[in-house]
Order: sequence, then C-alpha cells, then structure tokens
Amino acid sequence: MDLQNLNPSSLKSRFTARFLRALTEINAPKTISSSSPREIFQRYRRIKVAADKSMAYSVRSRRIWSRATLWRLRTRSRSRRLVSFGRRASVKTRTTASHGKENKEHHGAVLGVQAEELRELVPGGEAMDLCNLLDETAHYIKCLTTQGFCVYMGGLLCEGCC
Amino acid sequence: MNRALPEMLQSSDMTVLERQRARLKWQAEQFQQQNYFSELSGVFSSQTGHVQGFQQGCLMSRGGARGDSVLSDMAMTRQLKHEPGLETAWQGLGKVDMEFAPCGYGSGPSFDMNHAISRTSSCPPAVAAAAAVGSKAVKGNSLKMGSTVGRVSFKKRKVEKSQNTEVVAEDESKRIKASEEERESKITGSSTHRNSTDKKENSGDTSKLDYIHVRARRGQATDSHSLAERVRREKISERMKYLQDLVPGCNKITGKAGMLDEIINYVQSLQRQVEFLSMKLATVNPSLDFNIENLYVKEVLPSCTTNFPPVGMAPEMENHSPYLQFNPIQQVVSGCGMEMGTNSCDMALRRTISAPVSIPEASFLDTSCFTDMQQIQPSAAWDVELQNLYNVEFPGSIEASGLKMEMEMEM
Repeated sequence: MDLQNLNPSSLKSRFTARFLRALTEINAPKTISSSSPREIFQRYRRIKVAADKSMAYSVRSRRIWSRATLWRLRTRSRSRRLVSFGRRASVKTRTTASHGKENKEHHGAVLGVQAEELRELVPGGEAMDLCNLLDETAHYIKCLTTQGFCVYMGGLLCEGCC
Repeated sequence: MNRALPEMLQSSDMTVLERQRARLKWQAEQFQQQNYFSELSGVFSSQTGHVQGFQQGCLMSRGGARGDSVLSDMAMTRQLKHEPGLETAWQGLGKVDMEFAPCGYGSGPSFDMNHAISRTSSCPPAVAAAAAVGSKAVKGNSLKMGSTVGRVSFKKRKVEKSQNTEVVAEDESKRIKASEEERESKITGSSTHRNSTDKKENSGDTSKLDYIHVRARRGQATDSHSLAERVRREKISERMKYLQDLVPGCNKITGKAGMLDEIINYVQSLQRQVEFLSMKLATVNPSLDFNIENLYVKEVLPSCTTNFPPVGMAPEMENHSPYLQFNPIQQVVSGCGMEMGTNSCDMALRRTISAPVSIPEASFLDTSCFTDMQQIQPSAAWDVELQNLYNVEFPGSIEASGLKMEMEMEM
C-alpha cells in the first residue's frame, strides 16, 4: 500500500481541523473531570453537534444536505433561545415538518416507502426527487464515513494522550 | 430598393427639392428597415457619453463634425463642385450605406461589437457630412430656394436624427439586453432557425446515442414524455449502481427495493456510529489538555506521516497483539466496556488489510493512514482472523454492534 499524502484541502483535513477546534472549545472550560451522566450527556450532545456542524461546514453549501444540516442547526439553536420568549419555535418546526410531509406525497416514486425512509434519513431530503436524493445520499454516505473516521481518530488521540 | 435612390439621384431630371425629399424618405425607410442600424448606433451611443456627444456634434455641425473621417473631408472638398459634387456626395453616402448594409447583415449573427462600432462611427460622420454637403451644395446651387430648402431639410434631418437618437436612446435600454437575440431573430432568421434545428438535431442525436430505438423528435408529446421518463430512469439506475459500489454488501442484491433497504440500513448505521463515537469521546475526554490540535494538524494532515500512529497506536498495539491472535470473532463482538474500544480498534486494523470487508465500524477507516501499523505488525495470524471476518455477515455484525452500542449507552 502506498502512503497517500493527505491533501490539505481535502474533506478529511478540513473536517478534522474544524472538529478539533470545536472539541477544544467544548473541553476547555471543564477542568474538573465530571462523571455525572447529565454532564456526559451534555458533552455528548455538544460533540455530536460539533461533528455535524464541522462536516456541514467542510462541505459548505455545495450540497443540499449540508445546507439543510446547517439550517437545521441554526434554527434549533435559535429555537432554543426563543422558547423562553414564546411558542414561535415549535410553530416553526411544525410547519417545516408538515411541509415535508406534503412534499412526500408529491414525489410518488416507484419505490415510495423506501424513498420516504431515505428522505427522513438524509437531511434536506424531503424536498428532493429520487434522482437528486440518490445523488445526495451517495455524497452523504461518503461524508458520514469520513466523519466517523475522524471522530474515531480523535477519540484514539484522546485515549492515547491520557 | 437600397440602390434605387442613388440611381434616381444621378438622373438630373429631379429638382433639388425632390431629391432631398426622396432622400429623406429613403433615410426613413433605411432607419425603419435596418433595425440593426439603430441598435448598433444605440449600442454605439451606449458605449460612451463621448459617442452621444459625437452624434450631437454630427447633428449640430455643418461639416464641422468632430469625427473627421476621410469621407467627410472628401465630401467637403467635393462640395466645391456644384452638381457633380452633390452627386458624388450622394454616391458616397449611398456607397457608405450600401457597404454598411450588407456588412451589417453579414455580421448580424456573429456580432462583433468593435466591428459594428467602427462601422457606425464611419457612418454618422458620412451622413452628417453628406447632410452638410447637401445643404451647402444646395446653397451653392441656388441661393434662396436652396438655402431655405437646405435649412428646412437640414432641420428636418436634424429633428429626425434627434428623434432617431431619442428612439435609439430608448431602444438601447431595451435592445441591448435582447439586441443580439433580436438581431438574430429579425435579420438572420434563417440562420437561427438553422441553429435551432441543429440544436434539436443535436439533442436528438444525443438521445439517439443513449436510446437507439427511440425516436428523437421533440414535436410529439407522447414521445417526449416517454423520453423524459426513460432519461430519468436511466439516471436513477446509474446512481443506484454508484451507490451499490459505495455501500458494502450490495453486490449480491438485485432490485431497487432491496438495494434501497440496504442503503437505508447503511446510512442509519453510519449515523449511529457517529453518535456512538461522539458519546465515547464525551466519556473519555474531560481531563485532557488539547495540544492535540498542533500535533495532529501539523504532523498528520500535511502528509500521512509515521509520527502519529506510533504515538497513539503503538502502546495499544502492544496490548492487543495477543488479543488479536487468539480471540475469535465472537469474542471480539461480545466484549464490553473498554473492550469495545479495543474491538473497534481490532476490527479497524483488520479492515485496513482487507479492502472489501463489510463491517460498518471498520469501514470508515482509510487504509492509507494505517500502512504504518501494517509495517509494525504484519503477521500470518492476521490472515486467519481475516478469513473469519469475511465469514461474518453484514446484518449480523450490525446487530451485534448495535447491541453493543446500546449497552454502552446504558452504561
């Protein structure tokens, strides 16, 4: 096997750089080792969000799913802040969900059930026809594998360092 | 029709007044027929303010046009001769316009801005000069009538030109956008028609290449629908094939439904994997200071060097080498707690050696980064494990790993 020189602007390197930066931000304030499950869960949520966000940012807006992910993350963060002010957030999420369902009815493909399931899985897949959906799925799979690999390597690094 | 006027003018039967009126009519017709002329002059005027000033200069000047072209000079010199001067001026004007007309037609389809502008620049001075010449020659010929007529005609021409420039100024905004299209549509209708037919034929040819048995005519509605349907289906099947290559274990499955199921499972497992790994990170991390970024980014990313793996992996390698050689796959799968990390590590290591292994946890690892570890520990024992790995079924491993993940979560 040949040693492949990693392209510094490749998806992996971009994602890893961002993800590591996010990780440092998440772990910086906590100097005490906290083992309470609540804190662990919070950290888990943050790490997961960081992973998704850094992946979506690495892909920029070139893909529908990345745009959808970024939008979803932004609206969720906004909705969390707005919950105290009013019910606007829940209304927003409800409208988007209903809109998605309407779109599902329109795209009556030959493989309706599985296509719907795939649409649920792939972010932003609700408003796509089957052709684009498959395209997006392929790219999404590629990026998910990269994401998993980089998170895994990050975990190994942390294990190795401690 | 274009040639009629100069020939008419050459005959000395007409009076000067008639000649001028005929000329005005001819000009009007020219301006109406030759839309390109206004377009081009509009384009010309739009190019610079200087151009508009130039045109105004043409209007205002009586032979004192700023853009002194050779033709205007010639016209000026010719005006000294009375009748022959007038005739030659008319001829010159006719010639200029005549030259302009076919060239304008010729350059319509392949519109060259500079080309047109040069032509327009040559025309107005000629027109202005001719007008000036005409007025002056008229004056030279007959004092009162000529002058009055000349002034009248010149005013008419001036008004007409101002109107034309106004029209041009109005038109330019409309026409510059669609100028090319209009030109193509009106003037070179035949050539655009040819182009459109060529396009149709091209699309027909490409569709003929894809589907030999399909007719390529777009006029028939039913065929176009079926064509579009077939194109769509071909695209979908193409993408399904690509996904088949991407998703491990899809080679055996035929049929879109089964493949879609596999794809859905794979995407779900990948997402769960990421969640699990991030959870693992959350549990492991808190006591670390992160100089990792420097270490990792600098050393690993520019080139997959050998620095990093030994740092992170070598101690683990030593721990796991006996584990690797002795434990069967079932034990690997049914570990728990810390062993899960080792399990994933093991499977990752094995994955690097075997390319098409269909295990989700190990699938994300890239072989390139682990070549070092291969060099560290190539052993025959790995082959045995590999063969065992190959026997592991895809959904089974997913379920097992899924179970493992759930156990981890609960813990």
